[in-house]
Amino acid sequence: MQQAEIRDFLVRFFSSSDCELLPISNPAQLKVKLTKQMDKLLMNRPFYWHYIEQIGQTPETATLTFRFTDQLDEGEFVHFGSPRLHQIFNTAEQLGRYIRLYQVLAPQSSPALEPWLGINMKISYQCDLKKDRLISMGLQLINGTLIEGFQTMLTRLDLNQKLPNYCYTLSPLITVKSGIQRIERFIESELESEPSEWADQASERWVKDQDLLDTFYEHQDEKPDRYFQEQKALKEQYQPKISLQLINVGLFYLQSSTFLPGLVKDH
Amino acid sequence: MKPLIQFDRTWHEEFFKRIDDDGPWAKSELFSLAYLAEKERVVPTFHGLIAPKRLPLLKLHPHQVETARMVIEDMHGKAILADEVGLGKTIEAGLIIKEYMIRGLVKKVLILVPASLVLQWVSELNSKFYIPAVAQRKAYVWSQYDVVVSSIDTAKREPHRDIVMEQNYDLIIIDEAHKLKNHKTKNYQFVQSLKKRFCLLLTATPIQNRLNEIFYLVSLLKPGYLGDAESFSKNYKSGIRSVKNEQKLKALVNQVMVRNRREDTGLHWPKRIIKSFDIPFSQTEQAFYDSLSTLRENGVVQPFSLLTLQREACSSREAAFATLNKLYKSTATPVNERLWHPIFEKLNAIDHNSKAEKALELIKHINDKVIIFTEYRASQLYLQWFLKKNGISSVPFNGGFRRNKKDWMRMLFQNRVQVLVATEAGGEGINLQFASHLINYDLPWNPMRIEQRIGRIHRLGQENDVHIYNFATRETVESHILNLLYNKIHLFEQVIGELDKILNHIDLQDVDQQIAHIFEESESDGEIKIKLDNLSSVINFEQENRAEDDHHAASGNS
Repeated sequence: MQQAEIRDFLVRFFSSSDCELLPISNPAQLKVKLTKQMDKLLMNRPFYWHYIEQIGQTPETATLTFRFTDQLDEGEFVHFGSPRLHQIFNTAEQLGRYIRLYQVLAPQSSPALEPWLGINMKISYQCDLKKDRLISMGLQLINGTLIEGFQTMLTRLDLNQKLPNYCYTLSPLITVKSGIQRIERFIESELESEPSEWADQASERWVKDQDLLDTFYEHQDEKPDRYFQEQKALKEQYQPKISLQLINVGLFYLQSSTFLPGLVKDH
Repeated sequence: MKPLIQFDRTWHEEFFKRIDDDGPWAKSELFSLAYLAEKERVVPTFHGLIAPKRLPLLKLHPHQVETARMVIEDMHGKAILADEVGLGKTIEAGLIIKEYMIRGLVKKVLILVPASLVLQWVSELNSKFYIPAVAQRKAYVWSQYDVVVSSIDTAKREPHRDIVMEQNYDLIIIDEAHKLKNHKTKNYQFVQSLKKRFCLLLTATPIQNRLNEIFYLVSLLKPGYLGDAESFSKNYKSGIRSVKNEQKLKALVNQVMVRNRREDTGLHWPKRIIKSFDIPFSQTEQAFYDSLSTLRENGVVQPFSLLTLQREACSSREAAFATLNKLYKSTATPVNERLWHPIFEKLNAIDHNSKAEKALELIKHINDKVIIFTEYRASQLYLQWFLKKNGISSVPFNGGFRRNKKDWMRMLFQNRVQVLVATEAGGEGINLQFASHLINYDLPWNPMRIEQRIGRIHRLGQENDVHIYNFATRETVESHILNLLYNKIHLFEQVIGELDKILNHIDLQDVDQQIAHIFEESESDGEIKIKLDNLSSVINFEQENRAEDDHHAASGNS
């Protein structure tokens, strides 16, 4: 992530959480006055807040100054590895986990909006090594249309928190619960058809180390606890697994012609 | 093998609840930002290192990055890091922890280091790597914090022991791991019984040539890798120190050990330029020094006390005065008063300090940052006063200072004053590589302390050649030490870390006592000379042996 992208991220983050951006003299800086909610989330000073709220005083929320270059002195230097940025990433994930949105349509369009379930997940392939990828799935809750890359498509749409006045939503035939199951089954079958050399190699390493462990305790009929402890540790170290973590999820009400045929997968 | 597929479903309930309650719902922008945050943090491949890109302010050397990569990819996170001293093992370890943490493979880390290094580790991990490491202070720290630094002695003691054993560590790091060579010790058994997935053992001692050490260290990492104790000695041992199937063993060991050498790193190592000064006493100083032996000749003080006095007299009259006064008070009688009187008179007659003047001349000539090391607090104070009188400001540095004060003095020295006058280099040392001139104002009798002094400035990050100036007063105990011992064993040219191994190996850790004995028990200068010669030969012999061993080991690596 380049410094300019980080700056852009922070501006979007603080503006959308109602923090005030203060004027700055240098474009390589950013100054924000936090809201009460953001102060509590970012500044880690529960005792201050407890005290202020006990005595009923007006709180003075913190002002943060960031700088995006190490050439300047004033402000906290933010780069892709800085703990502050990751704290803000985590906060964004915490605040942006569950959503419901409606598509805003041109006046002449049909007023019916179809329900979609959208899920963004991180897939991690893990043994003693690890890599991940993201998956973004959308499921239409009436006819079961399933599409990948849902999030990217959402960014092209005009969406709103409120149902537009002249629109109405169609009732789903698939429940959210079974929708989630459909999506899981789809991902699972996709994962199972992927090449798994990485897992085979990991299990070779596992077997190799397990064999060594066995030779080490070969002459002991009664294996000591340590043997079983090591055995368990080897399993934790090498056993190949794919874990899926939720990033965020939501209900989206969209116009039926939203998705072009080429992007839609039958299921 | 089919990988296990695990879906996180802990969010279902919350999601259903929000649907039922009609909210609260996130803002559209935050939903997008959450996805973006995760997208930026995705690690798309198993291979390569992510960490260096996230540490833009840390200057990493290529061998450090390559070491971290090898440990993670080729050694599967279980390795012995055995770089030569000064190549940055701590940095390599930090980089490995960081990489694992970024990838989410490691969360809980235990770092066991010598007590004197705990705070240094904590501060390096936090400031250089943004790893929230904490020093173990209270029992609850073990379970409450993810990255804990502690001494092994604390960790293995109750009530800590039980708590530590219960933790499931993802990664354990042990600094100075060569101390775990004996599998019968409590420390070894303690480390062996910890629950861990990944493990790094750090040592500066090349272990290739000590068979049992290799076996037990490697068995901590990977039990069975070198067979069990019985098959190991059958396959590789012939006698206590000799090896059979050497090539095979080395090839095996090299797969779990990384050892970078200075000459392989391609780094520019600053030269060390050593200059010794043989400084004559002034007449008054000489008279005082000579008069001290009358105390022993008349049986007033023991040989050991005389030696102490003589060494102090070589440093400054202020240093000698404290001891002299104490001796006087405890031993003076009306009868020997006539002995003491002239000594104090001679001490009072000293009007200038030859060494201090030499130091002043040198400092003016150097015209750059200078560190002066002395053995004595009194000399330290005197030097500060003397330099100040001559228009040169200095700051003091003592081993007993608290960490804050040490850092503060270091800052002042770096930014404000020309001279730092220090009494101690060891312990929780500070790194002073921004200075490149060091005066050994007087010489400690423990050569390890000399090495520690030099190690403060001759290290990674030093960009200039390092100048070492040794002061010894002519025709005194001090000049004997310098000329008959230190220069002969090439102490000032030694690679940092080598001497410790040599002295350890010939069981000569208390060199200072050996030297004291030589001076105390010898009847003449000739005898002193012969005995110091013997001592230096023993050290030199071992040094040559090791050089040869190391050479063999190196060729075995290729």
